[in-house]
Amino acid sequence: MIPEISDLALTEPGTIGPCHVGPDALQGIKRQQTNPTRWNGQGWHPFAAALRDSGIELRENIAACGTFATDAGGTAYGLPHGVVIARSTAQVAALLKAAQQLRVPVTVRGGGLTTEGESVAFGGVLLDMTGMSRVLHVDSAALTVRTEGGIFWHSLAEELRRYGMDYLSAPLNLTSSVGGTLGVGGIDVNSPRLGCSADQALSVQVVTPRGEIVECSDTQNAELFRRVILGYGQFGVITEATLKIRRYTPLRMHYFYYDSLRTAVEDMQLLNRNDASDYAGILTIMDCAVNLLVAFDSDEREAAFKENWQVQLRGHGEAGFALCMLRRYALRPWKLPEAWYLLQRKRELFPEFRRPEYLRDGLMHDRTVVFSRAVWKFWGSKQMVIPDLATSAEKFVAAVERGNAVCRKYFPHYTLYMVGIKLRAEHKPHYEMSCIPPDAEGWAYGCEFEPMMDDRVYSRDYLQSFKNAIYDIGVDLGGSYYRFGGMMKGYIRRVFGDEVVNRHLAMKREADPAMILNRDVIF
Amino acid sequence: MLSLFQKTSAAHKSYSDCSGCGLCLLVCPVWHRKRDLQHSPQGWAKALQHGAAPGDLADAVQDCTLCRACDPVCPEQIDIGAMILKLRRQMAHPQTAALQGRMAAQARRPAPAHQEKTALLAGAALRAHPALLNRITALLGKAGAFAVAHDDGADISLALEAGVVVPPDRLAALIEPLRRADKIIVADGLLLPYLAQWLPAAKIYSLGETLSSLEAVRRNLRSTDLYMIEPRAYHADYVRLVKYYDRLRRERGCDFNLDLQRIAIPATARGLPQRLGLAMPDDDAQAHWVLHGRSITRIVVENLEDRAAFEKISGVPVVHLAELADD
Ligand SMILES: Cc1cc2nc3c(=O)[nH]c(=O)nc-3n(C[C@H](O)[C@H](O)[C@H](O)COP(=O)(O)OP(=O)(O)OC[C@H]3O[C@@H](n4cnc5c(N)ncnc54)[C@H](O)[C@@H]3O)c2cc1C
Ligand code: SF4
Ligand code: SF4
Repeated sequence: MIPEISDLALTEPGTIGPCHVGPDALQGIKRQQTNPTRWNGQGWHPFAAALRDSGIELRENIAACGTFATDAGGTAYGLPHGVVIARSTAQVAALLKAAQQLRVPVTVRGGGLTTEGESVAFGGVLLDMTGMSRVLHVDSAALTVRTEGGIFWHSLAEELRRYGMDYLSAPLNLTSSVGGTLGVGGIDVNSPRLGCSADQALSVQVVTPRGEIVECSDTQNAELFRRVILGYGQFGVITEATLKIRRYTPLRMHYFYYDSLRTAVEDMQLLNRNDASDYAGILTIMDCAVNLLVAFDSDEREAAFKENWQVQLRGHGEAGFALCMLRRYALRPWKLPEAWYLLQRKRELFPEFRRPEYLRDGLMHDRTVVFSRAVWKFWGSKQMVIPDLATSAEKFVAAVERGNAVCRKYFPHYTLYMVGIKLRAEHKPHYEMSCIPPDAEGWAYGCEFEPMMDDRVYSRDYLQSFKNAIYDIGVDLGGSYYRFGGMMKGYIRRVFGDEVVNRHLAMKREADPAMILNRDVIF
Repeated sequence: MLSLFQKTSAAHKSYSDCSGCGLCLLVCPVWHRKRDLQHSPQGWAKALQHGAAPGDLADAVQDCTLCRACDPVCPEQIDIGAMILKLRRQMAHPQTAALQGRMAAQARRPAPAHQEKTALLAGAALRAHPALLNRITALLGKAGAFAVAHDDGADISLALEAGVVVPPDRLAALIEPLRRADKIIVADGLLLPYLAQWLPAAKIYSLGETLSSLEAVRRNLRSTDLYMIEPRAYHADYVRLVKYYDRLRRERGCDFNLDLQRIAIPATARGLPQRLGLAMPDDDAQAHWVLHGRSITRIVVENLEDRAAFEKISGVPVVHLAELADD
């Protein structure tokens, strides 16, 4: 039965509403939750007037609202009633006070690189944090930076480099923002050693959903800090952050090639457990060409790896792997189209990772630019479906192999990206109900499953059933996910259980009585 | 078969293909100043994708400096520069008639044909500095016979910038005298890609690249110099020039106005109103950003406009590339 519109408009925040898109159009496809209903607009006019009275610029035209109609995923679409560009903490506080009072939903947006619609506003006001994107202070001696929360990691890197500095770890895409990442995770190829980006935050300035401005850290307003870091934007808007930084170093890169996912994952975990490299991650072309990337910040670390660990790795060099592939496809001539695909992909990808302007004396400079540009060039498109699984080290191989089987079933071509995340014992309270799986000790492991669209058009339902098939593995294994929101909202209870979710929901209701801030992401 | 492995070919790309990656915004001087997505190609493409009309973007599109930094970074290979000019063409500009009048007048005064194989299109800024222009002609003269073009297309450049269509007779008046040249050196970076289209048989070089290739200039670059690449010419031929300047860096050790994506950071931020003289240039913040955190002892510029911007705010000597050559 199609629900009444009035039922949908009244869906209580914090609960999962019925699917209003087409409950009878999805025969045989399990669907957990669709995009949220658009907010009904009640209270918008007084809210708009309140903002204008406080001198806050509110844009309601189509050019402003249309700019934010979707996120990087390109499957969730929604229009805000209006857009405000964040310009100062005081302005954000005034906006949240008015929104709380008038029960107007506020969707906070950094780079908008979510893929499940988390940064899409389905009505209400969209707060564009990129207007607050300046570096405030670099302390090269204390190795810290104070920055505004809407800054892109790449803009931060640009400025830090002028001081010979670099951030520790950040997503490989250049345009994630600091605030949008601290609330979600932030995984880099050095996360097996340094943890996720969220772990690099020493303190943050937060505007709570009631409009209070609070500085918090592990020692100051620690409870709020715990909720904000890895809290999916539920407990406050991050307007400023103090982050750890380090001296910039170019990289000594090594690539090892495998034809088995399991072997590559085991080798990566071996390196992580033994702190044998500064960077380690796996990037694949389907499950046929599995590339373990290993890199170092210094000659000493590289030499130690060569002496102690390299011989234990079961991967091949480029030539050895070519032979291996030759043998494989000689015995399986019916798989030649796959071999052809691998060859083409290699021809496109390899030069991108070896662009001469980024290589000096055998060292790779600005790895984030090299990797991120390649990510956008070869994997980016208007529609991106990147379901992921995060598990403990022990369950990871099973998660990857099962996820890989799902990819094989749904798409001719795809890529897997895997990284370990070093966990910090003292940050355990941050990790509750986050992308870090509850049973992970020492390291958590994440795998992204990214189909190549190859210029084909897939229906939204096809993509959704693919995502569900991946997400269901997480429920089955007791893992977690990097992405929540939209369709994913339904998974929060399935993976974390009612007790944990209800506890967090109660905290959310306390902090945000009108449930206005980033609705429908997890609650 | 191959199409399976490639994204849609560049020829079909337009704003509707924008993925929203935001790489264009990171390099955009106007976004850098305003921190407002609506002042970026990403913002325009996304707005147009979702129901905005070109007129809704008018002010922001006029503010674009046409530095073309966004073009080489776009992973979707959208021709963003062309998109901007198309948007400008769709917005009637109050100066259109004046620009058309200027081109019509110029078309009625065709320049004599050049006999030399190399021609220099010096541009208005250099012509306003005869001593420097003489120095440049002397330097280039040593490398072989060449001529300074009488018509350097300054009016065409301005019309292109404003999105005003260049009439065929004016275009012919510019390019016919250059037909015999097999090498054209152009100071105005905006014109460079157009000349390459209009005169496909000739090799077109920027003045910056030409001067910095001369040993007499090159050898006087110091490791403590900041070398300012002129962005428009650089981005128009990015794939080749990124390697050229990387070689220059290795050889001379100087610093460049390149960001981490190897995109040239402009020293000025002049949109159409400033170019047309309708608003005063305000380059200070942009020039400060170029210098921020760098320890340098001298600034070497390819473009005279940059010299003025730096002389105003920097405490170090600012010289034009041609002034580096031994007398
Ligand atoms: C091509 C591609 C590659 C990617 N690669 C990686 C990768 O290598 N590693 C990785 O970790 N991730 C990766 N991601 C995922 C992406 O980095 C994360 O989704 C990240 O959170 C996005 O940051 P953002 O600034 O774009 O946040 P947004 O998408 O804008 O927002 C994310 C969430 O945080 C909230 N939010 C935003 N800003 C604030 C703020 N200031 N205060 C409070 N809440 C806020 C939003 O409401 C939303 O719920 C990739 C994504 C894409 C599309
Ligand atoms: S041409 Fe330059 S100023 Fe214009 S949008 Fe592109 S980067 Fe920005
Ligand atoms: S770089 Fe290209 S694809 Fe990316 S946001 Fe800009 S215009 Fe869109």
